[in-house]
Amino acid sequence: MSEEYLLQMSGIHKSFSGVHALDDVNFAVRPGKVMCLAGENGCGKSTLVKIISGVYTRDAGTVTFEGKEITKITPAEATRLGIQVIYQDLSIFPNLTVRENLAINSEITAGVKLVNRKRWDATAKEALSKIGCQIDLDAKMGELSIADKQLVAICRALLFNAKLIIMDEPTTALTKKEVDALFTTVRQLRDSGIAIMFISHKTEEIFEISDDVCIMRNGKNVYSGKTADLTKKDFIYYLTGRELEDDHFIPTNISEEPVLQVKNMEMKGKLHDVSFELRKGEILGITGLLGSGRTELALALFGLAKPSGGEIILNGKSVKIPSPIAAQKLRIGYVPEDRLTEGLCLQQPIADNIALASLKRLSSGLGLLKKSSIAKEAAIWVDKFSIATDDPRKFASTLSGGNQQKIVLSKWLSNDLDVLILNGPTVGVDVGAKQDIHALVHELANEGLAVMIISDDLAEVVVNCSRVIVMKEGSIVGEMTGDAITEDNILEIIR
Amino acid sequence: MKLKEFARNNRYTTMLIGLLVLVLAFFSATKGKLFWQGSLWQGMMFQFPEYGCMTLGLMFAFISGHMDMSFVMLGNFSSIIAVKYMIANVEEGMANSQIGGIILTAIGIALAIAVVGGIINSLLVSRLNIPPVMATIAMQLVWQGFSTALTKGYALPGLPSLYTEIGHKALFGFLPVPLLIFIVLFLVAAFLLKYTVFGEKLYMLGTNKKAAQFSAINVHGMLMTSYILSAVFSCVGTLIMVSTMGSAKADYGISYTMRCILILVLAGVLPDGGMGKIRDVLLAILTIQCIATGVNLFPSMNTYYGSLIWGGLLIIVLIASTKMTDNGPKKLKAPKKTTQKVA
Repeated sequence: MSEEYLLQMSGIHKSFSGVHALDDVNFAVRPGKVMCLAGENGCGKSTLVKIISGVYTRDAGTVTFEGKEITKITPAEATRLGIQVIYQDLSIFPNLTVRENLAINSEITAGVKLVNRKRWDATAKEALSKIGCQIDLDAKMGELSIADKQLVAICRALLFNAKLIIMDEPTTALTKKEVDALFTTVRQLRDSGIAIMFISHKTEEIFEISDDVCIMRNGKNVYSGKTADLTKKDFIYYLTGRELEDDHFIPTNISEEPVLQVKNMEMKGKLHDVSFELRKGEILGITGLLGSGRTELALALFGLAKPSGGEIILNGKSVKIPSPIAAQKLRIGYVPEDRLTEGLCLQQPIADNIALASLKRLSSGLGLLKKSSIAKEAAIWVDKFSIATDDPRKFASTLSGGNQQKIVLSKWLSNDLDVLILNGPTVGVDVGAKQDIHALVHELANEGLAVMIISDDLAEVVVNCSRVIVMKEGSIVGEMTGDAITEDNILEIIR
Repeated sequence: MKLKEFARNNRYTTMLIGLLVLVLAFFSATKGKLFWQGSLWQGMMFQFPEYGCMTLGLMFAFISGHMDMSFVMLGNFSSIIAVKYMIANVEEGMANSQIGGIILTAIGIALAIAVVGGIINSLLVSRLNIPPVMATIAMQLVWQGFSTALTKGYALPGLPSLYTEIGHKALFGFLPVPLLIFIVLFLVAAFLLKYTVFGEKLYMLGTNKKAAQFSAINVHGMLMTSYILSAVFSCVGTLIMVSTMGSAKADYGISYTMRCILILVLAGVLPDGGMGKIRDVLLAILTIQCIATGVNLFPSMNTYYGSLIWGGLLIIVLIASTKMTDNGPKKLKAPKKTTQKVA
């Protein structure tokens, strides 16, 4: 075994009741380097991480850490070795302060029974100083931004003399600026000799941050080696198993008259003097940082937030939208930001989720359910969107993020809509499903649907939108169309 | 093979059938003929409809992801008003048809009060966002307070015999009227849950209230309907109880709140919402009635042990239900996750 690797895993197998989750996976992490583990949802990334951290036991294969072969890993053993995992949920205590969150683990491991504020303070300060970040120790953890929470989680990991830090999709909920800050920290850690294993499926990020990359597909690793030896095209091919091209949206069918007009919309502290028009057949991008008012604008148009002033004109008529029910009647659909809490009933069948917003159409008079039409409707969308399921009666929770998002979209598309608002339509969605979703939205727009995409994924905005509005602190600060829509142009006004 | 698949996809039904068989076997073995005498079973058919109706009502609240602790006391209050109305209006020497009219009006009044009570619960919970357990416990006290103040804590006797007959009469010599009422309510509930848009939405709402709201479902309206159904169904249960007892009282059926919760949890209708089947509720009601009746056959197990038995059973069932949901009994055909090593 070579000394140049910190962690080396070879021939890893793992199956759950006959289903191969991992099939002969080989990979290695070098000390002081950033290694990216890439793969679409459900490819076995999480299983692999859980084997490294000792949550699962491997069926076969060898694991070598610092040149020593490790036969059995338990979570405690992994911590002792210096392996720390920062999960997506960050495993923090939101009701405690930053100080308490930082100190609590070492206090517990040390078996201390009494609280000593001085010692807690010292531990917490030491932790923060490791990456030189400034966070108020007395702040409640739950009130911090996700980026700050992440920093605290990283600091906590460092307290255990971590040699390998595994970060599970850390950028999912971050804005571009926060991602940059996180990457600075990651580089700082890397330079101090800590190995970072970075799990992601965002192409740009992987190329920006990683030295090595390991790409997984269907439980096998299909590529591992230096990131520099790989082109973006190869990368996507390895990731999805198919060649994908960024299809720019070309509007062919934009109407003369706007279908939706917003005039001088105001919302206390959230929106100020927002006016714009939306035509049939166009895809309008609304972008801006978190807190720029982009989500509030969408919620106001869907009846979930109350504007304090201004006018909404739909098909030439001034309308009020007091509730989602009213919005639906006005043929406005909304795909929410957070599909798990706002979009889906996870523990209910896929078919029922798809039919949820169109039950009136799918039932006979007198409110009687027609199960056959629900099944038919579900079959249509499973087919049209190629949702990866063999039986729509299975729970929505059995699907990956991308397929779940397709359900939320289907739910609204099975209504007859004039305006479709998509808020972060591909957050946490793998490349393949992302492509499917974009293609369908293009098709719908060219059939005459007016689409609004709210997103801070600039690549997505550039590829999909025929017009882009940039928001900042509740106001519209810029608008661009056609070839003027580039990431650089947007970035210039956004910050 | 088919049977195996059914058992896997319907864990609660399978478990309840097993439990019912076990309970019957136990009492047959220990009490033999005493347990299988006809009069005992006839008695059961008169007993369970009271709390059976209440359980069906509470089921609506549970499926919507909510809790109702006030239903027994609300039912008692409305039946006290109904009884007062009957006592005040029925005079000696009245024709049966006249008394029948008064009884029907009294029942109408009771149900109307139940509707109001359900609306109050739903407003507290869904408009004022008070946690359902707190809001309905508070309302339970309020209704109990009204009832006690009206009756000074005494039972209200003097019901017209036409009304008390309801609780004791068997149609055609074998079909108890309370059982008939329960069957009707059961069919109504089953129809609402399985064959209407309301039922479909109720399950989805119970699973994720926010997602339901984002899917343009009238969440407030749905919750109001489910609280009204809870109140009305249990009011019917109390009216049966009053007829059987021959009087109304502020604290009749006080143990039924917990018993109904026990039945629903046993049937997999958890207050987390969106879960459970009505046929399992029926099986659970029958199982609980068999236990209640069977235990009474043991002379040493007098009524003083009632709370202990039901409380202990509730704890056991709650523990078991957390185990059942961990593996996801409703997850259709999802592959079982095992962490054991494959050699």
